[in-house]
Order: sequence, then C-alpha cells, then structure tokens
Amino acid sequence: MFSCLSGPQTLGKGPLFWVLFFAAVIAAASVPLFASSFAVQNFSFFLVWTFMAMGLSLMWGYAGILSFGQTAFFGLAGYAYGVISINVGDAHGLTWVAFLASLTLPVILASVLGYLIFYGGIREVFVGIVTLSVTLVFETFMAQTAGPEWTIGDARLNGFNGMSGMPALTINLHSADFIFDGSPFYWLLLALVVSAYLGLRVLVNSRFGNVLVAIRENPERAEMLGYNIRFYQLIVFTVGGFFAGLSGTFYTLWGSYITPSSMGLNAAALPIIWVAAGGRTDITAVLVSTIALTWVSQQLAIYGSQYALILMGIVLLLVVLFAPNGFVVSVWRSLSKRSFDREAADAVREFTSAAK
Amino acid sequence: MDLLFYVYAAFYQFADAFSFLILSGIGLAVIFGMMGVINLAHGEFIMCGAYVTVLSARAGLPLPLAMVCGTLSSGLVGLVLERLIIRRLYQRLFDSIVATWAISIIATQGMLIVAGPSLEGIKTPFGSFELGGISFSVYRAILPAVALLLLGALYWLFVRTRFGIHSRAAMQDAGMAKALGVSTDAIYSKTFGLGAALAGLTGALYAPTMTAVPTMGSAFIVQSFVTVVVSGADVMLGLAPSAAALALIQALLTGFHGQLIGQIGLLVTVILVVRIMPTGISGFFLRGSGTK
Amino acid sequence: MLATFAIAMAIPAAQAADPIKLGMLEDASGNFAIAVIPKIHAVELAVDEINAKGGILGRPIKIIAYDTQSDNTRFQEFARRVIQQDKADVVFGAFSSASREAIRPIMDRYHQLYFYNNQYEGGVCDSNNFVTGAVPEQQFSTLIPWMMEKYGKRVYTIAADYNFGQISAEWVRNIVKEKGGTMVGEEFIPLSVSQFSQTIQNIQKAKPDFVVTLLVGANQASYYEQQASANLKLPMASSVNVGQAYEHRRFKAPALKDMYVTANYVEEVNSPESNDFKKRFHAKFPNEPYINQEAANSYDAVYLYKAAVEKARTTDQKKVAEALRSGSICTNGPSGKVCIDPKSQHLSHTIYLVHVNADHSVDIPKVWNDIKPYWLGTVGCDLSKKPDHNQYTPSHLPKK
Repeated sequence: MFSCLSGPQTLGKGPLFWVLFFAAVIAAASVPLFASSFAVQNFSFFLVWTFMAMGLSLMWGYAGILSFGQTAFFGLAGYAYGVISINVGDAHGLTWVAFLASLTLPVILASVLGYLIFYGGIREVFVGIVTLSVTLVFETFMAQTAGPEWTIGDARLNGFNGMSGMPALTINLHSADFIFDGSPFYWLLLALVVSAYLGLRVLVNSRFGNVLVAIRENPERAEMLGYNIRFYQLIVFTVGGFFAGLSGTFYTLWGSYITPSSMGLNAAALPIIWVAAGGRTDITAVLVSTIALTWVSQQLAIYGSQYALILMGIVLLLVVLFAPNGFVVSVWRSLSKRSFDREAADAVREFTSAAK
Repeated sequence: MDLLFYVYAAFYQFADAFSFLILSGIGLAVIFGMMGVINLAHGEFIMCGAYVTVLSARAGLPLPLAMVCGTLSSGLVGLVLERLIIRRLYQRLFDSIVATWAISIIATQGMLIVAGPSLEGIKTPFGSFELGGISFSVYRAILPAVALLLLGALYWLFVRTRFGIHSRAAMQDAGMAKALGVSTDAIYSKTFGLGAALAGLTGALYAPTMTAVPTMGSAFIVQSFVTVVVSGADVMLGLAPSAAALALIQALLTGFHGQLIGQIGLLVTVILVVRIMPTGISGFFLRGSGTK
Repeated sequence: MLATFAIAMAIPAAQAADPIKLGMLEDASGNFAIAVIPKIHAVELAVDEINAKGGILGRPIKIIAYDTQSDNTRFQEFARRVIQQDKADVVFGAFSSASREAIRPIMDRYHQLYFYNNQYEGGVCDSNNFVTGAVPEQQFSTLIPWMMEKYGKRVYTIAADYNFGQISAEWVRNIVKEKGGTMVGEEFIPLSVSQFSQTIQNIQKAKPDFVVTLLVGANQASYYEQQASANLKLPMASSVNVGQAYEHRRFKAPALKDMYVTANYVEEVNSPESNDFKKRFHAKFPNEPYINQEAANSYDAVYLYKAAVEKARTTDQKKVAEALRSGSICTNGPSGKVCIDPKSQHLSHTIYLVHVNADHSVDIPKVWNDIKPYWLGTVGCDLSKKPDHNQYTPSHLPKK
C-alpha cells in the first residue's frame, strides 16, 4: 500500500508499520487534549528540530554529503522571519508572507553555496569545513550587530543579545485574529513534520533516491553511468538547506527569539549528533532519534544536576559503540531480523528490475 | 632603523598567528590528517595538557618539566581512549564524530566538577624585550621557532624512522601493512597517543599565556580543524604552508582592520582556499606527481 | 474523644503552609559557571536564613532550580517550565544579557515577576523585570572621571564585540568626551578571540594613559596575562572584572596589577555588614572560592522580595510588583542599604573602587555612596506611571 512511500531506502513497510505510524500520529495530535499547555509547548520544541535533522539525513545519510553548517540556514531563516515580520506586521495575513519569504533565503543561499561547492569540485571532509566556516562567519558577524545602525526597517538585529518581538503566525478574520500559539501552533508544526517525513520518504524511495544512494556509495561509478552527480548533490544540498531553514523559522516562532549562538559551533554539532546517533541512513530513525535525544538531554538537564552533560556523553558513547548503525536502526533491525533477509531479497529484485 | 622595527613588528604578528595555527593543528594533523579520526575532543586533549602543566608547575616542578608532564599525561589519556573506544571505530570513521563529541562533553563537565570552574594560572616565562618603542613578550616571540622545530621533528619521525614508515603504511593500506608484518593495532595506538601527546604539548605551551578553564579547548578547535583540512591529504607537507597562508591573511586583516575582520577573514579565506584548491594545499601541489 | 481527634488532625494542616516558589534559572555549568555558582549559593543562604526565621508571611520559600548550562536555548525551555509547570511565584535568573533577553519576552508574556541580579549594559525598562545589578551610570560615571584625574586624559578602550561591550564602550566614550579627554583608540574583539598580540601592539602605538578593558568570557580573559608578559605597564579600568569572576584570585600576579574596577560589592570590603555576611556565607559554603557582587545582588534580591511580599501581604505577582515599585522597598545587605528605584526598577548602589596591587591584593581607595540608577528616568522610562517592556540604549531611546 502506498508503494511510493516504501522501498529499500527506508525502514518500515507493510500494513503493520503504517498502522503503527498512523496510531502514533493520532496519539501525537491528541496530546493537547489531555496534556498541560506547558507540555504541548515543550513537545513543540522537540518537533522544531526534526526538519533540520531530516534534511541532514537526506544530505548525509542518503547522498553522503556531510555538511557541518546547517545552522547557517537555520539562523538565516530565523532572522529573515524576524526582520520581515517585524516590518510588515501581523495584519492581513502578512505573517504567512513573512514565513514563506523567510524560507526562500536559505534556499537561495543553499543553491549558491551548493553550486560553489559541488561545481567547484569540493568533496568529502572539505564540504564539512567550508559549511562550518560559513556558519561561523554568520555567527561572528551577527554577534556584533548590536549597534543601532544594524537595523533593517523597524527590526533591530540586536547582535549577541538576540532579536525578539516578532509576531506569531496569525490568521486575520473579520471578527478577531486567530493566533497560532500553544495548541494550534503545535498542530501546525505536527502537520508539517508529518508531511515533511512522508514527502522525504517518497523522495528517497524514488528514482532520485536511488541515484543519491548510488552517488553516496561510489560517485565515480554513478558519474560513469551517466548521472550528473553535481546536479543531484546541488538539489539535495538545497533541500537540506530548506529544511534547516524551516527549523529555524519554527524555532523563532516558538520562542519569539533568535540569536547568533544558534549558528555557533555547539549548535552546529547537535544535528550531526542526533542524526548520527539515530542512524543517518534512515529518515524514520532520524525523526525518532531527534525527538528522543532532545527529550533525554532536557530530562538530564532537569534531574541530572551537574552530571547531566556527563550522562548525556555516556549515553552517546554507548550508542555509538554498541549500535554501529545508529540506535534506532539497530533496534529496528534486531526486531525484524527474520524479515530482514526477505527484505534484502526483495531489494535486490527491485533494483535489478528497475535497472532493466 | 624605523622601517626595520616596523617590519619586525609585522613579522612578529604574523609569526604569532602562524604558531597558534600550527600548534592548534599539530595534534589533530596526526589524528585526523593521518588516521582519519574526526576528533572533536581535540580541544580537551589540549585542555588536559594545560591543566596538568599548571598543576605540576604550581606543585613546584620547573616549567619545562611541568610541560613534559602535561604532554605525557595527555598522551596517556589518548592511549587509553584509543584502546577503549576509538579502536572500534576505524571501520566507521563518521561515528568518531559522535564518540569524540561525547568524550569532549564528558571531559569538560568532568573537569568542571573535579577541578572547579577555573584554575589559578602560571606566569609566562622570560619577560619582555623592546624594539622601536614597542615591547614584546619573549616567550611568544620564540613560540614560532618551537612550532617549526616540532613540525620538523614530526616530519623526521614520519619519514625517517621505522615507526613513522610503519605508521604511514598502516594508514595507507592496513591489509598490506599487516601482511608485511606490521602490528597495526600497536601502531594505531601509538599514533593516536602521539597525536594526543602533541595536543597536550600545545596546551602545555599555551598554558602560561591563557586562563585555565575546562572549556579552554574551544579556543583552539576551529583553528585546528581549518588548518588541518586546508593542508590537504599529506598533512605533514601541507600543514606549514596552510598555516602560513591563513596566518598571513589573518595577521594582515587584524593589523589593518581589527580582530573582527581578522576572524571573519580567516574563515572566508578557508572557504576561498578550499574552493581554489579542493583537495587542500598538499593535494594541489602533489596532484601532478601521482602520489595519493 | 472525637473532638480531640479532630483537633489533632486540624493542627498539622495549619502548620503545613504552602511554600512560596522561587524559580532559579542559573548557569551552574558551562562557560559562565565561574561567576554564577556564588549567585546560586547566595540565594540558598538567604532562603535558609529566611526560612529559619519562619519564612515570608509564615510560608517557607522553596527554590526550584534549573541548570541552564550557559545555553540560551535551555533558558527558553526552562523559563516556560518554571512558569507554566512549576508556577513559580518569582523567578531569579540569567547571567549574560543574551540569556536575559531570551527569557524576558517569556516573562512578559506570562506577567511573571522576574529579578535579574547581574551587572549589565543597562536600559531594561520592563514592568515585570527588577534589576539588582549595577548599570553603566553607576559604574562608569564614577570610574572614568576618577581614572582621568589620576592618570591622564588619553583613553584606549578594548571591549567585547557585542551588546554589553559596545554599549559600555559608548558610555565610556561619552564620559571621556564630556570630561575633555581623548579616545586614542577603540577596539572591539569577538568573543571567541583568545590571542591579543596585535591588540597589545596597537595599544602601545597609541600611547594612552590608561586602558579601559571591557572583556568578557574565559577566552578574552587571556588578555591580562598576555599584556603582562609583553610588559604593557598601563593601568586598566574595568566594570566587569574582579567583582564578577574574581580574576585577581585566578590569574598569577602581577597580570592584573593596577586594575581599577567599580563594583557594588567585592569580598574584600571591610565593613561590619560585609564581614558578617562573609561569616555566614562561609559557614554554609566553606569552600566558596569567592563571594562576588552578583552573589551580594542575589542575596539582596531575596530580601527585597520578602520585603515586598510583606508589604503587599500576598504573593500575587502583580501586587508584589506594585509594592516593589512603591519606593520604600529597601534591604540592608552586604554593601549596606540598597533601595529599589520606582522609575527604573533598578537598585541604587554603593560603588566601591577596587584597586588590584602587584601581588593581587586589593585595596579600596574610594567609595561612592548611594549612586542612583538615574539614566532610565532621565530618558523617559517611568515604570511607576507607565508600563513598558523594552531595553533602551544611549542610541535607542524611548519614543517621547
């Protein structure tokens, strides 16, 4: 069922998986009905990061491009939303215009940067260094925009202290304004996370996805088979940048605040940790691991006192040592050991038939 | 005479930036440049070396001996970590990101708990000298020489000694090296330990000039990665030119436009250099010679 | 028999009073832990003392503390938690201005009473926010003229390149100009920089009479050792050092020789209130490396809150805020009597001029008493009459 959603590039297929998935979505959607408003906002916080992680999974897990600078797109989108929405205001549905406009900037930056990188022949670890440098340049630059001259229209960039005061997404009706806050914000976010997840599943299980994996495995061979690998890499990089930007805009909406430290070294490493720990080669694994790890690290910070960070480090070490493909992937594989061989045979059959 | 002083002052700034880049990167050059392990805990090896140096010096040891202690302790920690953790990751080097990141946060927080938020520091030795109305720190003036000496020693180690040749062989083709009788396990251990010890030496050398805090590694980590990556595939060959190029640009920009432009300029230069030489500096110069 | 039983059941219920919840969002780990841990301990000391005497209005204070790990995102997460989940009656927290600005919108959104107990660049005019930290008009208007009179009128500023550093540098620049001095140089240094050879050279070329150092964070603190090893030999003036992260105890002498700092409290103050405070502090925390001005501020803040709750006869946050604004809320703390200024909701302070000697011992050549936080009032912020939720700077004034 929904064959375009499943395939050899993603874990989980068949009616059981989809029933469970559907049940999980229903459960998630019903959280606001019985949980406190704090719990809803807190859970929104965990969801915010999943876009960036899934985009990174696409780039790194499927196409083999390790970008250390996704936070550059995150920050750019966040600041863009801030600047645009503060200037245009929240009447006439303009916050949605700001929202969409804020996403175009990371897409533009990602395509320009991607062009420079991939059509310039930069590969492997050098991509990581270049993208890291980009995000650090942004952070260093933005941190010093504290002065009054750093104002775009009505919006003060406010440097290291961060920009706040941007309006929430609003639908302007004749009678009153409907503000996307609390539960509506959560439902909007959840809907987009599910759509992004399903969309990415379709993408990676399509022909496009197969080519990505081929490029990851052996770029020269893919090139010799006639694929324009730079073009694919550029597309993937741009999509990854878009998703990072989506996280950035939602983070800014969630906290009504964006700061240069969101683009710093520690922030840049986090998505890589979530993706690597969960299993970068699978979208589902990354979605689960991002939510799980952000939740775990928050719980540790609350209850672990000064040992919180040490415990987090130990958790990550155990994961990397004992779950070589990521903890979600490893758990999955061990749960479905018997069907794994059958899956492998299916995959071979599919691939050989697709190649014909 | 004035021109000479001016030239020396400019050269001093360049050399200062150069030695910082070389010394930041030298430990990582071995661990990442040669072994391929993406060591996000590199800053913490530096911190370990610095802390042990400071504690030994304050316990009464003369500074050179304290620095040796710092270096050795960091090397020891490296050996232990290699045996316990890093060893399992050679087949999957990307996972070294998570593992070393975890080690990094454990080390930083652990040091905070054990030794407190900061340590009383030690003085920079040797005093100062004056030229053309400007006074300079003697210690910082000789650090570049130390950096170059270190590089030279490392080059000699990897090119002229048995250990070095075995090490490079094991990195290049482990299977073939093993077939030729090289004990790759021991080599990996020792090489990683060497890289850790070099990072510890960096910490030891800079300890008298900086505040000793658990997060002090963060002052080096970005510089170390960019210098090592820009140096390309053959790290030993590329490290000095890489550091020289980056230091030159950074010193010029800082001198004329201030620290902000210097910092941003360094990062932008990295982007441009990688764009122009996508396989790093040594890759660019070696590509004609057929060396991998 | 039944009556006795009923009375026995009733009495414990009357004694078990509902605690007053003091939410604390502070960096117990990470880059800022050095200066923040004394703050946390100071609050614990104050709460212990107050609870031992019966609490506030008969209710004990309960601290709900979160370690924000010097991470702005954690501040955002835990601010919501402490307000919405824990339902704190008052929140104390934040060290860096960035973390304060990350949570101030959240505090405003939920009308949460909030104390910021740190020195900073000044300008927060926010009805929900009470600030016990020192502000530029208290620290610079005292320090800079004094330095100019003692050492000369040529001034070089090096400042951290972000809001606090830039705004503080602006204050310095204005005061220097006002007093007829010359800024011979101004350098702004990104927070990540730890190597200062070029800066030291620039300073020497400009030949100032003294250097104003507004450096923040562990990386930038390396400047002091580096300038000492280059034998810079210039006196330094700062509002941030010594009193906050006790560099004179942490750096090897004579790195901080001839550093002058204006702080509203340092451990070395030798007054009866200060000595008594130190005694009690060390009784509870014998291994505290230093009792800094932020500790004194946090301690005072707890007592100021107590005074306001007692005046308002309730913990209802709106009423307590009004009481705090009434102009009569004061407390006798480690630096003497401090009172809340109703217009700005900041604290008037005794400012000590702290001078560090070559052996890093400290003397206090001058004390200014009762310096009011007058600036916000003069530019139009009056929270006793008009609510507001902004931060202003000398170049970003309230709209008239």
